Amino acid sequence: MEVRQGFRSLFQKYLLVLFMAVAIPLAINGVVEAWFGYRDQRARLDQLLGVQAMSAAAEIHDFIYGITNDLGWLVQLPWNDEPDERRRTDALRLFRQAPAIVTLTLLDHRGLERLYISRIGLNRIDSRTDRSTDPAMIGARAARAWFGDVTYNRGSEPYLTIAIVGNRPSVGAVIAEVNLKLIWDVISAIKVGKTGFAFVLDRPGRLIAHPDISLVLRGAEEATSRPFQAIRDAIGSAGVGSATGRDISGRDVAAAAAPVSGPDWTVVVQQPLSEAFGPIYAALKRTAAILVIGTVIAGLLAYALAHRMTEPIRLLEEGTERIGAGLFDHRISIETGDEFQRLADSFNRMAAELALAQEQQERIARLKRFLAPQVADLVDRTGDDSVLEGRRTEVVVVFCDLRGFTSFSAEVAPEEVMSVLSEYYEVLGRAITTFAATLISFSGDGLMVLVNAPVPVEEPALRAVDLAVEMQRSVQELIVGWRSRGYRVGFGVGLASGSATVGRIGYESRFDYTAIGSVVNLAARLCASATDREILMDAEVAEGVGGRRSVIGLGNRQIKGYDEAVPVFGISFDTP
Amino acid sequence: MTSAELNAVTCGGKFGRIGRRDVLALLAGAAAWTSPSHAQRSAIPVIGYLCPESPGLFASRLKAFHEGLGEIGFIEGRNVAIDYQWAEGQYKRLPALAADLVARNVDVIVAPGGAPVALAAKAATASRTIVFEMGGDPVQLGVVDSLSRPGGNITGVSSLSVEVSPKRLEMMHELRPTAAKLAVAANPTSPTVNTQLEKLRSAAEILGVRLEVLMASSEKEFEAVFAAVTKEAARGLVFTSDPYFAFRSGQLAALAQRYGVPAITQSRDFPTSGGLMSYGGDFVQTHRRAGIYAGRILNGEKPSDLPVQLVTKVELIINLKAAKSLGLEFSPSLVSGADEVIE
Repeated sequence: MEVRQGFRSLFQKYLLVLFMAVAIPLAINGVVEAWFGYRDQRARLDQLLGVQAMSAAAEIHDFIYGITNDLGWLVQLPWNDEPDERRRTDALRLFRQAPAIVTLTLLDHRGLERLYISRIGLNRIDSRTDRSTDPAMIGARAARAWFGDVTYNRGSEPYLTIAIVGNRPSVGAVIAEVNLKLIWDVISAIKVGKTGFAFVLDRPGRLIAHPDISLVLRGAEEATSRPFQAIRDAIGSAGVGSATGRDISGRDVAAAAAPVSGPDWTVVVQQPLSEAFGPIYAALKRTAAILVIGTVIAGLLAYALAHRMTEPIRLLEEGTERIGAGLFDHRISIETGDEFQRLADSFNRMAAELALAQEQQERIARLKRFLAPQVADLVDRTGDDSVLEGRRTEVVVVFCDLRGFTSFSAEVAPEEVMSVLSEYYEVLGRAITTFAATLISFSGDGLMVLVNAPVPVEEPALRAVDLAVEMQRSVQELIVGWRSRGYRVGFGVGLASGSATVGRIGYESRFDYTAIGSVVNLAARLCASATDREILMDAEVAEGVGGRRSVIGLGNRQIKGYDEAVPVFGISFDTP
Repeated sequence: MTSAELNAVTCGGKFGRIGRRDVLALLAGAAAWTSPSHAQRSAIPVIGYLCPESPGLFASRLKAFHEGLGEIGFIEGRNVAIDYQWAEGQYKRLPALAADLVARNVDVIVAPGGAPVALAAKAATASRTIVFEMGGDPVQLGVVDSLSRPGGNITGVSSLSVEVSPKRLEMMHELRPTAAKLAVAANPTSPTVNTQLEKLRSAAEILGVRLEVLMASSEKEFEAVFAAVTKEAARGLVFTSDPYFAFRSGQLAALAQRYGVPAITQSRDFPTSGGLMSYGGDFVQTHRRAGIYAGRILNGEKPSDLPVQLVTKVELIINLKAAKSLGLEFSPSLVSGADEVIE
């Protein structure tokens, strides 16, 4: 099979189309699903982190307000001028309850310090220092609860000052210093996912709570807090929901923030992106796996289908090739029960017909050798060689041969003999063809022609006579040339008409068409008795011509093989 | 929340949830494995543990240290070896023992039990990492440059025991408000003795009492201190913060009972052994956190990245039985402020 440039087999096309038909929707579905899955997960993550941040903020808020609440108990009763032993006991009890409180200062209604107790330093009782202009006092009077800025004790531990006033001026106020290091208990208990955690930044963005206390103890340093501020700012600029960023150890994290009202802090919860997006990655992996499996299935399916579709085509192709190569007995076997099978059946029928046709063709080709082209065409057209069947019919037999050819052929070179014969037969053949006569046989310089068989013609006698005249005329033209070359040859023709048996004779590979009967003998004898330039015919032919040609009676002649003399006729013709 | 956990300012978030019971169980096992583990020493990290006292006196501290180490995931005998050096109370031997540890090429030196130990370790090496545990102010003592940035090869944990010496005087004064004279016991060999005495004197001035300063640097001088209290008619005895005193709380409690002297020390071991009261940092916390820091350093963290941790929890323990036998009564404010009351 010739493979043309850019040839793509149907199998490949089907495979591609079928594969695409399955794989593309699958891929689109996968991508769409992954995209929506990602969005949903992202939204869920936002929501989850947001909730975690709020819950963390609530816990930090509880820590601060727990302390604030405890402090509230110290501003319940009005002050008088006497030293207040009970308050001192209450304050010491509070110390025990709230370990984050480092110092407590109780002020009376005039803003004078009445009690100062510390875990470290000496207590002061009734120092009566005027602290009414203390910013904590002013702040607390304005808002009942006041939160100072975070300070770092000895540059390390974050402290917060809280001031509370009672519900009436006479109960005074309490100022407490709180060691924020103790938020660690709260912050370290907050878990975001498996490895996520929370941290707290104050208003200027300094780290005041983190599960790693060593970072908090350096929270005052800009370098420590900067990465945390960056995360907070990233969340701030992302608006609602979560943001992604880098944490201090360079991991990608998802983070969300929530404010702690009161001290105005920000609680940030963060989770490593790898963990936060874990479900997303899992879903993506799942989708990818389904895609891969789907694609493989699509491929197999496409292969199977394409094979199923193209296999009959391949069989057909192969079948036609074989039939084309002449193997007409080849049969295409397709049992698909569809159009392919119908097509194969057609092919098979066609092959059978082709076989028949070829057989006939071969027969006809054989016939053409001895039939006139017109006859051959007729047989060809009808596809029927029944005309060649043996039968008895009226025929005109024409014989002709050269006079003195035997002695001529003995004298000259064989090449010259063949050349002369070639010229001779050429002109005779042309004449036979022109008159649609049937060449029966030729031997040496003589030949036999039949008119009116196997195909009947109109006016067979007339036609035969015209043929004979044409033969004589054209051969005589040749003879003029030959004579000029010194060859002494002549040409005679004999015709006879009558009933003869015609038909095919011979054996399988060698058939001839011939006529048998006395008329054949008569024609041969007439030819033999004809001299150069003479055309001899029997009475029947002369009669057949009627008066249409100038037939001349030549009287009776003794013909070999006939007891009685036979009437012989001649015909004059123009000679060159 | 228990009070022990309130002050649990630890950093081992990852290991923080390992059950304490697990750690203890492993510790018990670890002790049995310690001796055959020498063969593995080249493979597992080694902690050089420079201890000023004997194993018996230090058992409770060592247990806390192991707990902290366990929080980071280090179990002695399994994945860490500990090379102990015991000074047996002879603080003069500390520099030699420290130098010995340096020579033995340990991975980290742990110097618990006070400023003398930390200073001895610091003097012995400038390259080996040191984790200290003490009661004084490490900046003031020149152990570190600053709390947040310790600098160099040393970091650690400090309680507020030394800083709260004046509070002990204040409490003794509250117990004996009418006393004109109170005695103070100090260890002249302590690096913090002068600052403590200075603070105590200024506090005494504020409180309006006279101070009788009594010196003791060895066990045999203890009895003389108690005898002097009685002789000098001081109404109470306040011990300055000093590890040597702290580790001998039992002995001091017995002497206080024998001489009928109301006394206050820094260590909770004192009231639990029959002494009157104590006010000082929580040594369980400090030793545990020293263990955590040692573990973190073994995990590759740099000492300069680990700020000095102050254990802010200061606990007041009072013994009502001892008060009764001395014919004293705690004021309601002392009782309500006490973290633990022994009845």
